[in-house]
Amino acid sequence: MKRVDLIVIGAGPSGLSAAIEAAKTGMSVLVFDENARPGGQLFKQIHKFFGSKEHKAKIRGFVIGQQLLKEAEDAGVQVSLESTVIGIYPEREVVVRKYVETPAADGTDPQEPSSRHEAVFHYKADAILVATGASENMVMFDGWTLPGVMGAGAAQTLMNLHGVRPGKRVLMLGSGNVGLVVSFQLLQAGCQVAALVDAAPKIGGYGVHAAKVARCGVPFYLSHTIKKVEGTNHVTGVTIAEVDSHFQFIPGTEKHFDVDTVCVAVGLSPMSQLLKMAGCEMDNSGKGGGQIPVVDAAGQTSVPGIFAAGDVAGIEEASSAMIEGRMAGIRIAEYLGYETKEAGEAEFSKEEASLEGLRQGMFAPQNRGMKIEKTEEGIPISTNLLKHGFVADDEIGRFPGVTHKAGIHPVMECTQNIPCNPCQDACAKHCIHIGLNITALPAVEEGSTCIGCGMCVASCSGQAIFLVNEHTKEGCAEVTLPYEFLPLPKAGDEGFGMSRSGKPVCRAKVVKVRTSKAFDHTALLTIEVPEDMAMKARFYRSRLECTGGDSVIAQSRIKGAEVSQNGATGDRPCESKAAAESEKREEGAAI
Amino acid sequence: MRTDRSKDLGPCLPMEGDDRIVCRCEEVTQGEIRQAVHDGMFTMTEIRRYLRCGMGLCQGQTCSRLVSGIVARELGIRPGELRPASSRAPMRPLEMSIWANECQAPDGAAETKKGGAGDEKC
Amino acid sequence: MRSADVVICGAGVIGCAAAYYLAKKGKSVIVIDADEAIGNGGSSRNGGGVRQSGRDVRELPLAMYGIRSLWPTLSEELGTDVEYVQKGNLRLGKTEKHRQILQGLTDRSTACGLDVKMIDKDQVRQINPYLSDEVICASWCPTDGHANPLKTTLGYFRAARKLGAVFLTGEKVLRLRKEKGALRYVETDADTYLCETAIVACGYESRQILDSVGIDVPLTKDLIEALVTEMEPEMFPQMLGTADADFYGHQTRHGSFVFGGSAGYDRENRDFGHLAVYGNTAPAICRATLRWIPRLKDAKIVRTWAGYEDICADGVPVISKIDEVPGLIAACGFTGHGFGISPAVGTCLAELACGEKTSVDLSALRYDRFRSCV
Repeated sequence: MKRVDLIVIGAGPSGLSAAIEAAKTGMSVLVFDENARPGGQLFKQIHKFFGSKEHKAKIRGFVIGQQLLKEAEDAGVQVSLESTVIGIYPEREVVVRKYVETPAADGTDPQEPSSRHEAVFHYKADAILVATGASENMVMFDGWTLPGVMGAGAAQTLMNLHGVRPGKRVLMLGSGNVGLVVSFQLLQAGCQVAALVDAAPKIGGYGVHAAKVARCGVPFYLSHTIKKVEGTNHVTGVTIAEVDSHFQFIPGTEKHFDVDTVCVAVGLSPMSQLLKMAGCEMDNSGKGGGQIPVVDAAGQTSVPGIFAAGDVAGIEEASSAMIEGRMAGIRIAEYLGYETKEAGEAEFSKEEASLEGLRQGMFAPQNRGMKIEKTEEGIPISTNLLKHGFVADDEIGRFPGVTHKAGIHPVMECTQNIPCNPCQDACAKHCIHIGLNITALPAVEEGSTCIGCGMCVASCSGQAIFLVNEHTKEGCAEVTLPYEFLPLPKAGDEGFGMSRSGKPVCRAKVVKVRTSKAFDHTALLTIEVPEDMAMKARFYRSRLECTGGDSVIAQSRIKGAEVSQNGATGDRPCESKAAAESEKREEGAAI
Repeated sequence: MRTDRSKDLGPCLPMEGDDRIVCRCEEVTQGEIRQAVHDGMFTMTEIRRYLRCGMGLCQGQTCSRLVSGIVARELGIRPGELRPASSRAPMRPLEMSIWANECQAPDGAAETKKGGAGDEKC
Repeated sequence: MRSADVVICGAGVIGCAAAYYLAKKGKSVIVIDADEAIGNGGSSRNGGGVRQSGRDVRELPLAMYGIRSLWPTLSEELGTDVEYVQKGNLRLGKTEKHRQILQGLTDRSTACGLDVKMIDKDQVRQINPYLSDEVICASWCPTDGHANPLKTTLGYFRAARKLGAVFLTGEKVLRLRKEKGALRYVETDADTYLCETAIVACGYESRQILDSVGIDVPLTKDLIEALVTEMEPEMFPQMLGTADADFYGHQTRHGSFVFGGSAGYDRENRDFGHLAVYGNTAPAICRATLRWIPRLKDAKIVRTWAGYEDICADGVPVISKIDEVPGLIAACGFTGHGFGISPAVGTCLAELACGEKTSVDLSALRYDRFRSCV
């Protein structure tokens, strides 16, 4: 039986990170993953990550995956793909199902290609790390088994791994980060998102993720959930309704949407079955998202030599999974004598501090379920953001990133304390200040001078930074915004400036479209808007997108789906908005 | 945990959603699960064995959370108080011919990148 | 202090069946099990065989009585479909040596009046066309069959509970206590129960409980393993076994196949306290199965499990009143073939507890039958 020092099960962020740390100390490390591609969920994550430099912030998930793979290869880690671990047996035996390649007879005849068949292999290891991640939760409603109802993660796999659009028109259930991020990716893939629905009274994920979706015109329905999904052979529609504080439907609040897809993003459950099979003591109290192994800080379970890291040991996110993986890798190297206790301890504490850094702010595990009304700075949280997905016009001014100034200057619409600071590093002119407390809201540094380079705009994983010049010429202002849709508009294009709520508020002309390697696929769109719209226009849509029969805007007017998307803005009719409306009418008449 | 199976749960009154399928692999409904609890099946293990929910191809990956929610509600306890059913190999359904085919991995030989079997002998 | 006419230690299929028949007779019953789940021992971890062929002649009458009088109507009786199928048992052979083994088993069974006979290759093929061409003979008992052990156990539990039997799970019986020479109390880790009669049906754990009143039954335990496939199209209804007993199993009503077998080291495998299965057993069961039923090569296994058999020194159970301790009845040591006889055993236990003549003569299964061999 083949024996190695360490077997890692799962080539996701935590598994690969652990394997790298262990292999660097000279251990023989074998990683098994059932998928054809390594990287776990990272390869579906096309968005930029949060955190600080050490957490690989502002790098897109799939790029982090590529980096990890390269590091793993360099460290001598063997990664075996399409290799399904069947079970963990006594004495740390791992049984794996995988392919056996039988080379062609003499290896030269192209007519006789090599053949593959499958077999089971037995391995033993002195340590095993289980890093199998999590699976998606489901909720039941009438029609939940119809084709077209799927996990948000499944939709993400279809889009981002296989290039398949999950549907044409989608309703998303769940406003956590997964629901928000996947909604945005659905829009990027060219799907329409009819609505984002959550039974909770407030949005669960990052406000900046919600804001990106809201400004594309997607309506949010909080305190709502799915009553039933309609269709005989597949989804043809969905009815949602409002729920009271006990999550009971309120009669008469039903709203119907014609959709062909319903995505469910209601949390994840650790896939901890292997650990349970191995006899590890389990915790089913519900913390960690489901059944998790009882582990110490390094992921050591109750069974000597068996470790767990990442989501399988408690649902968090990819960034913390990587750190947990490294911590487990370091401790395993120590455990097997490949690393001295002193050296291991030093590295371990460094990682521990880094993990601690991530577990800060409003969304930290210890704050789950808590009602937070003010930021760390004492600023009242935007209630409109939590209810409708965007900060209202009369709320935005109270945040330290939003200031007025002559000439071009950054406007950071970052209103919640999350552990993230790439914008501070991005600005060579030190216009942006966060400080040592990584969760502090970014503030405009007084006396600094913005040169309009746009690095901050592209660096913000939440797409919450804009460059604004409130007065360029008579009656005009310019807004530079992050743009991640294709096709890219061209300079000279004319369309509409969209409010934070996704409503056209003014005409807008594309002045400049900047792309650069340093921006990492985030294009910077500079639009010219009426002066009074400088602090209101936060997105751009072409005329076609705004007036086409299928457009998001047209769809938002669907039966019953109208909501006060302007929130508390006061909705003052302005010249520019009237102009936009009249233009739309004209277009309609022309058709 | 000590449990008296005579605990009075009251009558099993019909509820909205009773005809909804909970376990998709074995097509077990909410109503069947609720009735089983009222018949004395207070543990996830018994529910599985009595109704087969969670015994199909996915082995409860999708439904076990939903089932435990229903069982806990009928018993008036938190889902966390229910011990999940045991976990057993294989972690994924596995053809008999493949499981029957045991191979020896060569000592120390490098795994090939994809498929990873190298020159292993069967 | 709670009291009952009968306290049953062990909520396995034997304890549940006894509880059901006692409750039906109007007796008050308390059933106590250390496990959180009903029937979590061998009752839920067996191949589901309801057969007479291949049985030791000492327990054969129990099997024959159950199949004649109890199994055919059990689903109606309990109000739970126990998936009883009476379509025969084939015990297969591929070699001359196998033929001799099967012939011996057949001769001993026919002597007891069982309808079982040796059949040849073609007859086997007629009964079951899916078997390997290498099969040359089989013993055939048309009145054998199989049932669902999970549903049978829980069906007895459900019906007994409905009749008022009290079931306490997650409570461990520590000892029995006598009063004035007769059994009177059952003590657990939570409480003490007063009773007229106690039935000990705890599998291997019975040994320790019986020891508290000075009785010993020579029991050991073995960890055995089995596996189950996904739902397959209906193929054959017979129960299968082999001359070497290297594999056994059947297709359930649901469509899945249940197979048991061994890698040959079961007796020596370590006890990890969580019913660990070994990495080499499932492949062995798969190979054994495919040697007999090659067509199942693409059937997917969805689950494997392990369970303890309480092995009695001479291979048949103890089902007996304990003369030295009036009021005490032992039912243990079923040695891996207790499920098929459980309705008959439950019936007899209820009769024993009520001081009635048992439906089947149990004199060969007395507790005091173990004598020195030298």
